[in-house]
Amino acid sequence: MNKLVKTQDVTYEYVRRDDDGNVENIVTAVDDVSISIEDGQMVAIIGHNGSGKSTLAKHLNALLTPTEGTVWVDGIDTSDESRVWDIRQKAGMVLQNPDNQIVGQVVEEDVGFGCENLGIKTEEIWERVVDALKSVDMYEYRGSSPNKLSGGQKQRVSIAGIIAMKPKCIILDEPTAMLDPKGRKEVIDAITRLNKEENVTIILITHNMEEIIGVDRIFVMDKGKLVMEGTPREVFSEVDKLTELGLTVPEATLIGKKLYDSGLPISLPVLTKEELVSEIGRARLSKFR
Amino acid sequence: MLRDITLGQYYNTKSVIHDLDPRTKILGTMVYMVSLFAFNSFWTYLIAFAALCTVIVLSKVPVRFMLRGMKAIFLFLTITVLYNLFLTQGDTIFSFWIFNVTIQGLKQAILMFFRLTFLVVGTSILTLTTTPSNLTDGLESLMHPLKWIRIPVAEIAMMMSIALRFIPVLTEETDKIMRAQKARGADFDNKNLFKRIKSYVPILVPLFISAFRRANDLATAMEARAYRGGDGRTKMKPLKYKAGDWIAYTSMLLYGITALAITVLINFQTFMLKA
Ligand SMILES: Nc1ncnc2c1ncn2[C@@H]1O[C@H](COP(=O)(O)OP(=O)(O)OP(=O)(O)O)[C@@H](O)[C@H]1O
Ligand SMILES: [Mg+2]
Repeated sequence: MNKLVKTQDVTYEYVRRDDDGNVENIVTAVDDVSISIEDGQMVAIIGHNGSGKSTLAKHLNALLTPTEGTVWVDGIDTSDESRVWDIRQKAGMVLQNPDNQIVGQVVEEDVGFGCENLGIKTEEIWERVVDALKSVDMYEYRGSSPNKLSGGQKQRVSIAGIIAMKPKCIILDEPTAMLDPKGRKEVIDAITRLNKEENVTIILITHNMEEIIGVDRIFVMDKGKLVMEGTPREVFSEVDKLTELGLTVPEATLIGKKLYDSGLPISLPVLTKEELVSEIGRARLSKFR
Repeated sequence: MLRDITLGQYYNTKSVIHDLDPRTKILGTMVYMVSLFAFNSFWTYLIAFAALCTVIVLSKVPVRFMLRGMKAIFLFLTITVLYNLFLTQGDTIFSFWIFNVTIQGLKQAILMFFRLTFLVVGTSILTLTTTPSNLTDGLESLMHPLKWIRIPVAEIAMMMSIALRFIPVLTEETDKIMRAQKARGADFDNKNLFKRIKSYVPILVPLFISAFRRANDLATAMEARAYRGGDGRTKMKPLKYKAGDWIAYTSMLLYGITALAITVLINFQTFMLKA
């Protein structure tokens, strides 16, 4: 498999200047980060507030270009200004607040917005819009005003707007942060399906650990640095380290760890409730034996 | 409470007028407006009235919706009519106190009344039968030639449509902030106008901050979706003239010609009478 997204020693500094243009202070939001994401993977980026996740994410579709280092999207260097539009077409981005990213006054118009920008022919736009809306299960709302939708529905419309641009990769920056549990599930289900069925690469930024149990890879950031990387099983086996970084772990993992610490011989880490139940059962059996 | 404000009072129904291209409707409205200012005789106004009635019937919009706009100009209308009635010089019919009511004044007042009424009703048909986004598209297309004098027409249209999209969002937010401030004892119903205005400051500040944050987010989202201004954009819903539009344009032409013919005829008559 080839690397769809790759960053090499990326550093990004926000420079704040005072009124005279003198540098007031510098925040190194991303510090020497190298990651690579393979085509078709679903990965997660986690880290506590201000750890640089959003800043890194903005590098992945050329909204920002690195102060130092290089980012490649599908082989294209993002600092190549002539290719910015190709990159934006290949890597779409969904933001946190569902209200602030819908441009159209009608659902279908919004989904078509990105395609219009790409200069796609009218008939094809319609085909893509219909397909995209169906793939997030929002087709029946195509004629509604976005203002009348729930948060989860709005977020799915935003995702449809990106899908219609036929990207290879979708970056989602805390897409479920403002949603209720039902809305969260709708959105996570929609992106999981995209990944499995359409083979779209997904980069998910989130604070909700339950959402990322099933991903292929997790990147953990702290103070701009990449501090951990691995499969969910690898990452969540280091409960103490994650806690130190100000992060939580899935509920089942935490309970499993506590049980283990209090002497129950279960194999760590436990990721899901079902796993936990069967592990406890197994451990008790072996205890009685 | 603020939710009731709807910009553009689109009346959703199916009719031949609703189906017309927005450009046709905008131009039609303009022709009608010009005609109202050009006309000044009874017969031409009768034609204008007939035209208005025809369009109203075809649009299937209840008349009371069109008269709503009258409320807004009620004061203006009254003042204009009274001004013309009492302060026009000419042959006095009767007079009381310091006022002189003249034949010319009476005529002028009646003319003004109908002119303004027709104007308001006529333009409200445009907004009642056209969705705001359609209206923006129509304006964009009609103003397209202005691109040659470097006016960013497509971008202005985009701004208008974004504004329309966010008005309900911001009204809802204002509502929320107002309720929050009320819960903290803010008084928005104070009889003292000055105090009432002052009580709106704690609403405007958070509203502005949030509006700027939204604008920033939206700009990022638009850029992420490859927006780069109007150049090279295609249209998902391009405007296309249909048979109905040509009928409408023909009707407009006939309306203009008839009215012109009558005006010429009347003027010819008076000319002959004088001679
Ligand atoms: N526009 C900006 N100007 C200056 N500094 C910024 C800007 N945006 C972010 N920062 C700083 O960069 C650092 C990383 O911010 P970033 O938004 O990438 O974090 P994050 O991991 O996405 O946090 P969160 O979980 O809160 O979304 C923070 O210290 C933040 O204060
Ligand atoms: Mg963030």
